[in-house]
Amino acid sequence: MEHGSFTDETKSTFSMADEDHTLANALRCTLNQDPRVTFCGYSIPHPSDNRVNIRVQTTGDPAREVLKDACQNLMVVCQHVRNTFDKAVLDFNLTKPKEKPVGDINIK
Amino acid sequence: MDPQPEPVSYICGDCGMENTLKQGDVIQCRECGYRILYKKRTRRIVQYEAR
Amino acid sequence: MSGKDKNLHNMSESESEQEGVDKEGIEWIMNLPDVPMKLPPHVELQRTRVECKADAPIHTDTIQYSGAFASMGFDNSLRLDNFRNNFKIEVIDLKEDDIEFDMIGIDPALANAFRRILISEVPTMAIEKVLFANNTSIVQDEVLAHRLGLVPIRVDPRLFKYSDKDAPNENNTIVFRLHACCERGKPRLTVTSKALTWLPNGSEFPLVSDKSVSNSKPKTYTSFSCSQNTLSKEFSNNPIGPKDSDIILARLGPGQEIELEAHAVKGMGKTHAKWSPVATAWYRMLPEVVLMEEIEDELAEELEKKCPVNVFDIEDIAGKKRATVARPRDCTLCRECIRGDAWEKRVALRRVKDHFIFKIESTGALPPEVLFTEAVKILEDKCERLIAELS
Repeated sequence: MEHGSFTDETKSTFSMADEDHTLANALRCTLNQDPRVTFCGYSIPHPSDNRVNIRVQTTGDPAREVLKDACQNLMVVCQHVRNTFDKAVLDFNLTKPKEKPVGDINIK
Repeated sequence: MDPQPEPVSYICGDCGMENTLKQGDVIQCRECGYRILYKKRTRRIVQYEAR
Repeated sequence: MSGKDKNLHNMSESESEQEGVDKEGIEWIMNLPDVPMKLPPHVELQRTRVECKADAPIHTDTIQYSGAFASMGFDNSLRLDNFRNNFKIEVIDLKEDDIEFDMIGIDPALANAFRRILISEVPTMAIEKVLFANNTSIVQDEVLAHRLGLVPIRVDPRLFKYSDKDAPNENNTIVFRLHACCERGKPRLTVTSKALTWLPNGSEFPLVSDKSVSNSKPKTYTSFSCSQNTLSKEFSNNPIGPKDSDIILARLGPGQEIELEAHAVKGMGKTHAKWSPVATAWYRMLPEVVLMEEIEDELAEELEKKCPVNVFDIEDIAGKKRATVARPRDCTLCRECIRGDAWEKRVALRRVKDHFIFKIESTGALPPEVLFTEAVKILEDKCERLIAELS
């Protein structure tokens, strides 16, 4: 899963199975915004295999921890997105109650 | 253990009538005399993947 | 994107002039009202807007690297509190099957992740196995089975489990029955999805086995231990069925008959498109149309006529006609307004990099706002799985 050297923990490549651009790009983006990261990127070795390699190089912290923190940040971001969205939908439903009766949708 | 396989019904190619034939019968529609008879679809349950 | 970062703590633009001043000094300088804490406007434009020129767009990258503007003293790193403050969602329109909402202050990578998950990883129920007892119609078995697979089913997929290697039971399978017959002498019959009736007690076709079992209940193709009606109160009020009852499945001539059973299971769009819960989901960046100069009189009229979606309006102020940008959101980026000589200098077409107009069209299994929430949950689950693997 992690390919790095035992002496230098700040640089390693993480190979994930059953993942694709969906998670990898989002992670790469979050990693980039962490000030401890000097280099990060992802690649898909072959499009037929469902595998992603994420490379992380940091300024001293172990790459594994930085990746874990990025995942945590991404989770927090997702939760915030979800809460904001739910609130926005509630607000919309409160300010604009359904004026159209449901019956007219079936005219086909 | 049946004495004979059950009489099978075939469908005429022309008029579409079902003719039951036993072994040794002339292959001919009873109504119109057409000699091409089609076998009916199997009664077994066939399974397909909806893909 | 963390948005414009105005709450810097460690860096200031005038740092180079103040070398040797200790941290307290920097913070004091930072809090002075007239110290610029932002990037110069042209760089800010490059950072936050995609410029759509006549030939190609430029500045399309999102500059995410935390140290990108370090030499200018601008902190580009992700601050969760900044993100929380700047992130907004505005729902523009919400119908039974469609939603249009704006997401402001988020990265394109995340927006794309949500879009990809909506299309391929939110599970639904769709017909997978079709058992034919009889099909004398012109539509071949496999074609009819394929069409049945694509019929959207109005049921909450969260109430069911995946059927990996389990036998089909009431928790992972929905059974439908279709029996249509066109009698001789009657006109042609059109078989629509209305003919799909739900069987809450499971399959009715007996499994033919060699052993002569003389039970009162012969084995069928599914092993339901209880009726699905009891599983959820919803099922008794709205029975499970296809979302649209007017989908034409086949047409029967006189004497033709179709008798089949269809089993629906849970799956993801990744495996087959029939399991995708959205007709489609897409996003676009908010267009920004800016007039670089005053456009008056004839030029204004020309500009207003050029735009096929009427983005521009003409304002009559003190006798002079001026063009204004009235509906930039409708801009489709056809670039008609910058075609021709010198127009590119007058009109600037831009897109805001962190403002996404999302549209989700659901096929009916789940309402669109629930779909989006599920997609976000799935991304969170992916992160959790990764964290678990790393620990």
